[in-house]
Amino acid sequence: MTDEGPAGAAAPAGPDLEVAHGRWGLLLGVTRRFGTMVLTLFGVSVIIFLVLRLMPGNALTSALGVSAGLLSHAQRVALDHYYGVGEPVVQQYSSWLHAVFTGNLGVSLSSRTSVASLVATALPVTFELAIAAMLLGLLIGVLFGVFGALHPGGVVDVLGQGVSVVGLGVPSFVIGTGVVTFFASIFHYFPSSETFAGLLSDPWLNIQQIFFPALALSLGIAAAIMRTTRTSMLEVMGQNYVRTARGKGLSRRTVIWKHLFLNAFIPVLTMSGIQLGYLLGGTVIVEQIFVLPGLGRLLVSSITDQDYPVVQSVTLIFAASFVAVNMLVDVLYAVVDPRIRSR
Amino acid sequence: MSGAVVGPVLSAPGELEVAAPTANRQSLARALWRSTNGRIGLVFVGVVVAAALAAALGLTPYNPQFENPAALLHHPTWVHPFGTDQFGRDILSLVLDGIAISLEIACLAVLIAGVIGTIAGVVAGFLGRWTSAVIMRVTDMLFAIPAILLALIVVAALGAGWLNSAIAIGVGYIPIFVRVVRGPVLALRESGYVLAGRVLGFSRRRIIFRHILPNVAGIVAVQTSLALAWSVLAEASLSFLGLGPPPPTASLGEMVSEAGSLAAIAWWTLAFPSIAIIIAVIGFNLLGDGLRDAIDPRTRNR
Repeated sequence: MTDEGPAGAAAPAGPDLEVAHGRWGLLLGVTRRFGTMVLTLFGVSVIIFLVLRLMPGNALTSALGVSAGLLSHAQRVALDHYYGVGEPVVQQYSSWLHAVFTGNLGVSLSSRTSVASLVATALPVTFELAIAAMLLGLLIGVLFGVFGALHPGGVVDVLGQGVSVVGLGVPSFVIGTGVVTFFASIFHYFPSSETFAGLLSDPWLNIQQIFFPALALSLGIAAAIMRTTRTSMLEVMGQNYVRTARGKGLSRRTVIWKHLFLNAFIPVLTMSGIQLGYLLGGTVIVEQIFVLPGLGRLLVSSITDQDYPVVQSVTLIFAASFVAVNMLVDVLYAVVDPRIRSR
Repeated sequence: MSGAVVGPVLSAPGELEVAAPTANRQSLARALWRSTNGRIGLVFVGVVVAAALAAALGLTPYNPQFENPAALLHHPTWVHPFGTDQFGRDILSLVLDGIAISLEIACLAVLIAGVIGTIAGVVAGFLGRWTSAVIMRVTDMLFAIPAILLALIVVAALGAGWLNSAIAIGVGYIPIFVRVVRGPVLALRESGYVLAGRVLGFSRRRIIFRHILPNVAGIVAVQTSLALAWSVLAEASLSFLGLGPPPPTASLGEMVSEAGSLAAIAWWTLAFPSIAIIIAVIGFNLLGDGLRDAIDPRTRNR
């Protein structure tokens, strides 16, 4: 059994991709998986919409404050129509859904700009942060997991176990706050105080601004990936073909990476997919600490402002990326493991 | 599949009622104490629970909300073992109070998630195809929204507050309970003694309560401990983002958030609330691991 991540999610039993024989089989499996994904996302959009409809009061009234009372009836109706708040629930939902598909996500109640443009500026930041954190997490987790498993109880193993206890137990916002305080107060180094630089416009500043939040976010993932890699490696190490490979006189590196790691990789892949949910949730908190203008920060500010056109679209984008990556992971199973491809 | 879960051999009719394959409670406790994880987990959880009880009984050294203008940002001394904050409040008292609030919210959240999730999981595993399919599809959909985000939008809908935090966190964890419980129930449904119970004409209720539930109790216990760890973390995260119970309710996450700007000159404002969260999270996580080791001897020596 694989380990559980910080979110405590149980690992699914294995690849979910029922693939028939041959090349078309893989395509069929992917298509079927894609269909499920679309249905899931449809349900997710209904859930998000219904949950947010529980919101007490009319968001328009709270956005305008006292001045809402000064509006004439015609002005009110016009505003309700513009922001789409006065309509029946089903109509609101269908117009949102329509908007999602046409890429026009409505108008933000608090900033009066289009949700699509808010999302378009925030998305790349979160995307970069998530990828950087995932890569760091995989790097730390796989290296400690593989080399720890080679000598259980050795220095690397003990060090790795230490990292995993820290990663699982210390919340990312504590790590983040600690890192910020440490560098800002002792070295007067706080790259996030400057306006966020794009990866293309100022790569060096961008890397400095992304590295620390990604590190704070990656430790939790690294811990889960490390524990999974270690357990999985230990299981594979007892197999006969590993002894054979060693007996044939293959180099140590070939045995470790080709025979051991590649066979131990499926649970690691599963765990990475699960950790992505934790990671996406974590961006919300880490972006807040490091003042990154990403989707998470947009989400928190729009929740505080009761700006639900933004809340529902941003949440849907998070869910869609989570589901899409997990589908990608399912496809990767077949790419990594020929046995799944031909089953 | 079912072979692995078949319980005691059905030799005597009396044994039919023996549901849990684990031995008696005493040996379970001993196994828990024997595993390193379980022991550290028990100690940490004990410390956290003791702290929460102390605060609940009003045994904090000071009134947590009492602001002493003569003692702003004092570093730790015997008078204030954890120092004081920018308003002159005693941090030890605030931390104790924060632990109590955090545990109350976490326990309520896990109660919500555990009860709803376990019922849904048993139903999805035991009842017919359609009920099962509907529950699992909804679970998949809830799973597609990362748990902390689910909690965030529930808070966005209900507003910040003590009860709302608990509901939000609980809702986020329901799908995990459903998945964890349903698998074993599916296997148990085909197991020897459940089939035997059906043959003997036992009612569905009797089979569920006497044969299915005792067998998933261990899994639920493990998951409850892990869920508590997650809930403490989620509660701290929500209040860190300013979406937890509004002040004057003490909250560890909010203390960390406020300490962010102070920590450079007053490290204790950041250190002690952080340590409290860490001990609680690690404690419940290790306790969950230890429970799993104690219940399932196959993983005991890993």
